[in-house]
Amino acid sequence: MSECHGRGKTLHIDYSKCIGCETCEAVCGFLYDTPRIAMARTNDGQMIPIYCQHCEHAHCMKVCNRGALMRDRDGAVVLQPMLCRGCETRNCVIACPYAAFFATDRGVAVRKCDLCAGRRAVGLGPACAEMCPCGAIRFADRDELDELETEASREARDRVLAHIRPKK
Amino acid sequence: MSNAMNFAFMREEPAPPNGRRVAIIGAGPSGLAAAGYLGCLGYQVEVYDKLPKPGGLMLFGIPGHRIPADRIQRGVFTLSRKFGVNFHNKTKICCSAPLHEEEGDHFSCDIRGLGELVEDHDAVIICSGAWKSRKLGIPGEQLKGVYSGLEFLFPIRAVKYATSNVSVPPVEGRTVVVIGAGHSAMDVAHSAKALGAKRVVMVYRRTKKEAPAGSYEVDRLIDAGCEWLERRTPLRIVADETGQHVAAMEMADANTGETEVLPADVIVTSIGEIPTPPFQKELGLENVRKGEVRWLHMTSIENVFVAGDVLTGPSKIGKAVYSGLRAARSLTNWLDLKAQHRENEYNYDADVITRPGAPSEQR
Ligand SMILES: Cc1cc2nc3c(=O)[nH]c(=O)nc-3n(C[C@H](O)[C@H](O)[C@H](O)COP(=O)(O)OP(=O)(O)OC[C@H]3O[C@@H](n4cnc5c(N)ncnc54)[C@H](O)[C@@H]3O)c2cc1C
Ligand code: SF4
Ligand code: SF4
Repeated sequence: MSECHGRGKTLHIDYSKCIGCETCEAVCGFLYDTPRIAMARTNDGQMIPIYCQHCEHAHCMKVCNRGALMRDRDGAVVLQPMLCRGCETRNCVIACPYAAFFATDRGVAVRKCDLCAGRRAVGLGPACAEMCPCGAIRFADRDELDELETEASREARDRVLAHIRPKK
Repeated sequence: MSNAMNFAFMREEPAPPNGRRVAIIGAGPSGLAAAGYLGCLGYQVEVYDKLPKPGGLMLFGIPGHRIPADRIQRGVFTLSRKFGVNFHNKTKICCSAPLHEEEGDHFSCDIRGLGELVEDHDAVIICSGAWKSRKLGIPGEQLKGVYSGLEFLFPIRAVKYATSNVSVPPVEGRTVVVIGAGHSAMDVAHSAKALGAKRVVMVYRRTKKEAPAGSYEVDRLIDAGCEWLERRTPLRIVADETGQHVAAMEMADANTGETEVLPADVIVTSIGEIPTPPFQKELGLENVRKGEVRWLHMTSIENVFVAGDVLTGPSKIGKAVYSGLRAARSLTNWLDLKAQHRENEYNYDADVITRPGAPSEQR
């Protein structure tokens, strides 16, 4: 099942509104033990949450030769632990351009955001977006992403991307 | 999506009432997260706070340009309207210490004892934060014009809610010296600028790279017109000719090894807060901190739990939220087992172990 309505949903973080308070990571960790959104500290000392963008053309899906990554009906890229065998290649972890596919030492050894699949199933939204004190995280339709960007958000996002993918 | 910090994020609607009543002392992020969790489960939750509005430091410490106050207030509104949480504002839960000791005490008009709450509820969670400011311990700190970070920031926010007994520190056209380089020091400096200070000088004992708030934040302050002096250790605060009011600060410059004098009208020492729980000793908080308790987050008084900065010392909103959620869940486990007289089946180790990468409990 790789079809979804419209272009599906995703998370969007406006880093210009984010104050690095760690609430998103904490709430995710409370729900799932190991958080799937993770704080990082940039070279200039800013705390930023790293998160999955549920890419339309997801690299992680492409590189997994077990087919353990699937798109669900809301457009989320979800990991099927029973298909994943936690292979040593960790291709998925390496392939993600947003550093949002995490290696762990538990279970199938990798973890990723599934847009709170269990919560969506009962009509709730992703918990991080609900609890962010600043309203920096949106559970958004991919089609409305452009409207969410501002000059400040783009500039802040570029700073974050420069951290994730440093120039060599 | 409603634009609210949704403390009741676990459910759309509350579960049917389960007949249990829980009191929460302190409506900061830890208390509100605990209230949301318990409200979702059908608990009757009573939240007590000495301030006129719920929100804790999210409302009364951190400036509004960083956290939108209405987003917090909408979350509180949902708790009270939809989840039946009762908010008792301006109510201080009494401790052994005298009144008017910490910032914000002068707001409370009702005082109730912890013992009374314990009697009236199935359980209590103490989420009272860390509001007492750490002192530098140098001569002259008692002079007029010397503030702690919270003494400086609190009135700026509080004056919106009650004007009679708070006043914003006078900084317009003056020189403000801020000691420290954490988030609250940054907030003090930005606020001083916004209030029209003529000159804002940041003084930090280490280098920009080591600043807890990060060099990016320091650069933003410098861009905003503040001055940054690093590797300076405050030695003494000097009084003016009346002997009452601050006039300057003496500091050691580790770059040159010399002592310099910096003229100042206002000095704000923003070097951290310390927790002030009611009944510190009686609750045995030291043991809770060390993890030497039989029940996660429970104090040495049965049915009394503790969470947030009051337990960990000053931390972050995320850590306080996590702590509040964990305490609330621990409390529900405790009451469930206790109702069946099975307390000793509780597996403490299974509950405390936080997995690698998960926010750690007591950092
Ligand atoms: C200036 C400043 C800037 C900060 N910036 C950031 C930031 O950018 N990011 C971040 O993550 N964190 C930041 N923090 C830290 C963050 O605010 C705290 O870690 C967090 O609010 C702690 O939550 P809490 O629920 O434990 O306590 P608090 O938020 O302190 O709430 C405690 C509540 O208990 C009430 N209370 C206390 N005693 C009693 C009593 N006896 N009876 C009744 N009520 C009582 C208080 O009135 C208060 O409302 C900052 C802190 C300060 C001071
Ligand atoms: S909860 Fe919101 S403000 Fe806090 S770190 Fe996450 S995105 Fe940033
Ligand atoms: S894990 Fe990475 S590559 Fe895969 S969908 Fe998320 S952001 Fe895209």
